[in-house]
Amino acid sequence: MKETISVSPVTRIEGHLGVKIDTADGRVTSARVVGEMFRGFEQILRGRDPLDAQQITQRICGVCPVEHGIASILAQDAAYGVTPPPNGRIARNLAQAANFITSHITHFYLLSGLDFVDVAQVTTYKGNDAALTALRDWAKSELANNTVNAGGPFLPQFPAQLIKDPSLNLGVLRHYLEAIEVRRDGHKLGALFLGKLPHAASLIPGGITEKITAIQITSARALLERLRTFIERVYLPDVVAVATAFPSYFELGRGCGDFLAYGVFPETEGNGSPFLPSGALIGGKLQRLDIASITEDVRYSWYSSASGRRPTEGETVPAPEKAGAYSWLKAPRYAGRPMEVGPLARLLIAYHDGRDTTVKSAIDGLLKTIGRNPADLVSALGRHAARALEAKLLADRCVEWLDQLVPNQPAGVDFTVPATGSGVGLTEAARGALGHWIEIRDHKIANYQCVVPTTWNCSPRDDRDQPGPLELALVDTPIADAKAPIEAARVIRSFDPCLACAVH
Amino acid sequence: MTRRSFLTVSLRLATVMGLSASAAPALADALERIVRGRAHTLWLQGQCCSGCSISLLDSEPLGPDQLLTRQIALAFHQTLSGATGHQAVETVDRSIAAGGYILVVEGAVPMAMPQACFFGEETFASQLTRAARAAKAIVAVGTCATSGGIPAAEGNSTGATSVPAFLKHAGITVPCISIPGCPAHPDWIVGTLAHVLQFGLPPLDELGRPRAFFGKLIHDQCPRFSDYERENFAKNFGDDGCLFRLGCAGPITKADCNLRQWNGGTNTCIKAGAPCIGCASEGFAAKRDFPFYLKNGQLRPQGEHGV
Repeated sequence: MKETISVSPVTRIEGHLGVKIDTADGRVTSARVVGEMFRGFEQILRGRDPLDAQQITQRICGVCPVEHGIASILAQDAAYGVTPPPNGRIARNLAQAANFITSHITHFYLLSGLDFVDVAQVTTYKGNDAALTALRDWAKSELANNTVNAGGPFLPQFPAQLIKDPSLNLGVLRHYLEAIEVRRDGHKLGALFLGKLPHAASLIPGGITEKITAIQITSARALLERLRTFIERVYLPDVVAVATAFPSYFELGRGCGDFLAYGVFPETEGNGSPFLPSGALIGGKLQRLDIASITEDVRYSWYSSASGRRPTEGETVPAPEKAGAYSWLKAPRYAGRPMEVGPLARLLIAYHDGRDTTVKSAIDGLLKTIGRNPADLVSALGRHAARALEAKLLADRCVEWLDQLVPNQPAGVDFTVPATGSGVGLTEAARGALGHWIEIRDHKIANYQCVVPTTWNCSPRDDRDQPGPLELALVDTPIADAKAPIEAARVIRSFDPCLACAVH
Repeated sequence: MTRRSFLTVSLRLATVMGLSASAAPALADALERIVRGRAHTLWLQGQCCSGCSISLLDSEPLGPDQLLTRQIALAFHQTLSGATGHQAVETVDRSIAAGGYILVVEGAVPMAMPQACFFGEETFASQLTRAARAAKAIVAVGTCATSGGIPAAEGNSTGATSVPAFLKHAGITVPCISIPGCPAHPDWIVGTLAHVLQFGLPPLDELGRPRAFFGKLIHDQCPRFSDYERENFAKNFGDDGCLFRLGCAGPITKADCNLRQWNGGTNTCIKAGAPCIGCASEGFAAKRDFPFYLKNGQLRPQGEHGV
């Protein structure tokens, strides 16, 4: 039997996403991923002062502002011919890593958690934990009083098979409440160096405007210790436990199988030697990143601008009535291929790169714990595992970076905005490879293009009708109940989609 | 708490607020609603970045978990709701059918291009019209919602419009409070909701902003005010001194960031050496020719700066 299922809106992601799924005999045969919101940042940036770009582009996304700010600053560093002193580079790394950590914790518990945890079960809780007792009493009162949308925003959930083991279920629910508190610490760590979050204040070409002081380093260390403890004792074990409870998701959501990363967290002068390296992993073979291979198709996107352009020549002209189009996302391709980006891509590329042995041994260690091989990571659960492992690797690295900060030394260098120039800023957001391209003429922005992680992962079909990575990942997913397509939801959310980013 | 204890607290509150004892039962109702999580709230997103939602998650000491289970009954929120797909549509529609809720709106409305924002099969503009008509009060959160923000900046092609302007155009007269900021500070959101729930509409200025948070200029509460007085101006980013000549919009922006600070008191823009970019001002990002920063000896056009 054939059916078409619409999952719109996909909640518990950032932004406006819909997915249309065709099934035959309870399995997905094809999927169309629809970006449902457009603002037009690239048009708005034209004609503005180049220094506005890092503030404007941060507002593309409230979940990934630091990363957009960094991408814009790197593009401007390149255009103005400056690089930050060590304090500036390290402080940027710390703030960016802290935002990754907050984003990853938020994703597993607040965004994905309710695909696995049975919230209503808290009403049967009999223990003494203060937070769970309070949640139980609240849920009971909500349900007993039959308020409008009782138990919102957590209920209703899809009537589906959730975690069966009550102690694991209530444990993860308890950790959801803890995650709400701990995720704030990542933002505080970022705000120590960048003034505030979301939307950082003190990123500037040549470094940061904030000064490096001993009290700031000490405060950062304290926040970091709490994050590290949570990641090691709570987040990673919970991901392993959920993986053990839902082993079939190591087989589901595999996607396109090719991966792209731009490299992030420079560890030497001149923004060089990224901790997590760049590369294109195609057919299991690691290639050097070639940014000239990046193009964006728009055949199925609501734009009338030319298709197949490189970002340096890219245009964004909206055409909401365009026949045949079905998404506000463009379709980025690398040498004509759809590519998956994100924590899994970064870790697999670092694993194949092998220069930094800490990543390889961490992955091997995790695989041993869960009794899996590297190929199993290319799956819905593999993405969750990679995200949690990356959070741990970054938190550990932040300790080393903090030790390298020198109080009272400069965190920035002066710069001059030239009348004419161009620059590319390649970095990584929590959700994957992020690139900003700036072109300056007559002291103003002549063109600005952003190619964003979720644009890669949630892209529509391209000019050659090749589906995007999430569209491919959904194929073959079994759907037990067309009215409660939890299986598709789990695959979709494993990519941690961020739609405000993807369309901008 | 029992009904009796709510009444006792309310009598005390009524005295503090200068109300007569007869106001106590109404206050007790409001308090009971708050404590039992029954103040029905609906949170919708238009052309936004979810930054105000993420900012709200950074709230402390009243954490988001307590906010959701103690203070408001949040029927739906796109980033937090368990409901997915058709369930989400049904959840929102159930709230609209019941009516009488507080509607929080994050983001602008694409009036010239309604297809630029969808919720399920419905355009956001259409959903917002239905939701606003049935609301008891509306709270526009973040500069995109209060004055259009970046989506409405020069060069935009969607006709992005603020929530108050959209409501006016649609002839909807439900009271609307504006909480600007890009993002809005969590205290501004929590504090305003608390006031609405406990005491009704807070004192507002001519732009519908709560005076408690937006009554004074950034400049007037600036930690670098003495540098301004002594004309000790920073020349380069990272310098000590007043940031006015680097473009600081503190003199034209009303908000209490300098006193309140961000991320639980961790830091704030000017303290971190960053000029205020006026993210809470009604003209934020609107004009191409009004850059956030001044560099290379640039000056602002005459009369564009209030000092």
